[in-house]
Amino acid sequence: MVGLGQWGRMVWEAIVSLRDVDVWLGLTLRQLTRVGVDSVPIALFIAMFTGIVLALQASYTFTGAIPLYFVGVLVGKTMMLELGPVLTGLALSGRVGANISAELGTMRVTEQIDALETMAYPPVAYLVVPRVLAGIIMFPLVTALAIGVGIAAGWLTSLQLLDMSTYEFVYGLTLFFQPFDVTFAMVKTISFGFVVTSIGCFYGFRTRGGAEGVGRSTTQAVVVSSMVILVLDAFWAITLL
Amino acid sequence: MGIEIRDVHKAFGSKEVLRGFSAEAHDGETLVILGGSGSGKSVTLKHIVGLLAPDRGEVWVDGLRVDELDREGLFELRRNVGYVFQFAALFDSMTVAENVGMGLKRLTGVSKEDRMRRVEECLERVDMVGYGERLPAELSGGQKKRVGIARAIATEPRYILYDEPTTGLDPMTRAVIDQLINRMKAELGVTGIVITHDMESAFRVADRFAMIHDGKQQFQGSPDEIRSSADPMVRAFIEGRPELIEEAE
Repeated sequence: MVGLGQWGRMVWEAIVSLRDVDVWLGLTLRQLTRVGVDSVPIALFIAMFTGIVLALQASYTFTGAIPLYFVGVLVGKTMMLELGPVLTGLALSGRVGANISAELGTMRVTEQIDALETMAYPPVAYLVVPRVLAGIIMFPLVTALAIGVGIAAGWLTSLQLLDMSTYEFVYGLTLFFQPFDVTFAMVKTISFGFVVTSIGCFYGFRTRGGAEGVGRSTTQAVVVSSMVILVLDAFWAITLL
Repeated sequence: MGIEIRDVHKAFGSKEVLRGFSAEAHDGETLVILGGSGSGKSVTLKHIVGLLAPDRGEVWVDGLRVDELDREGLFELRRNVGYVFQFAALFDSMTVAENVGMGLKRLTGVSKEDRMRRVEECLERVDMVGYGERLPAELSGGQKKRVGIARAIATEPRYILYDEPTTGLDPMTRAVIDQLINRMKAELGVTGIVITHDMESAFRVADRFAMIHDGKQQFQGSPDEIRSSADPMVRAFIEGRPELIEEAE
């Protein structure tokens, strides 16, 4: 509970620090690349194989009982509502959350954060705001790409291995599609982007004790943000579906 | 107006680090604060720039009470106080020139050209011309300390705080750093506080001494006064003879 309160205080300070536009604006552009663009390969790799497996498992389950175009329904709905956002969130909690925590943790134990303060830089505006903004902006974009690639992989698998036509797959894909599905996926990923980056910053900022402390903070950041992603996943399903 | 630390208490959890420490640095002088490892020297320095707030007591810089300053007041104060960290605390992803120019970026009305010129001037002052494009990882310990000093003087502060500036350096480099500290005082007129347990270095730079022991002031006075002090604790420290304390007990 103490940690939750301290995290909340840091988030509040980040909101207040939004007024220091001159400090965070330029740095945010750099973080957009580091948090977003650099995460695309791992997110797409995971999404591609998830799409392939989803199509094959759907076909295996449905054969003889349900028309095969339901493969398109399952691949589309599952990628968009669940696996696209959650798997991308978990992958990025490892890549982005760990990176942020290790970087800020090292800065903390080598007094670089103190040095920033002594040069009149507000550290939360300089270090936290750009990373959290980049997470909120880039997680949805990376997830949207991952969903697209996952569905495309499912479609190609259906054509090549399941003897389905493009018409059947697309028919299934669009059969139960609702625009709200996109909204639901984006709400989830924005919240995941926020928690992964803010938790990474939080554990990085409170690092103590040299290299061992940096390692401990990094592990905690990944474990806690992964758990929070799963809790949020259930929360959004309960409240929005 | 100088720096004044009045009866400062600071505890971290159950560990009381400062238990009523007082010291003052007058304008234009270098005060050396002596004390053993873990005696609270760095904690004291961090109170002066508001990185830490005292549990009790007061810290005054330039007539301003640091622990009562708001956010803007603290930023304003920090523009007048340069801080040289024990391990330099250079930003490892930035070049030497970018490190030195960081503080200047926060000042309004300084053009990029002026900033670059000032960075060159500061590097020249610490004999590091030509190192501007290097990364901190490519520098030796002594070079990092010199860049740390260049970064501290870039905004032309009235005060410079040196946190163990010669720790871990070879005797030649220690002498160079001490000369630099004296040059900063002579050429820029800055008031300095140096914390150290390196006595050779301390006597080279000090105008006055304060000693911290058990979280309190054990001694304050001139170099001559500390040399002739009869206090066994002071003598044990400056002569490196712990047996003097046992004999006194």
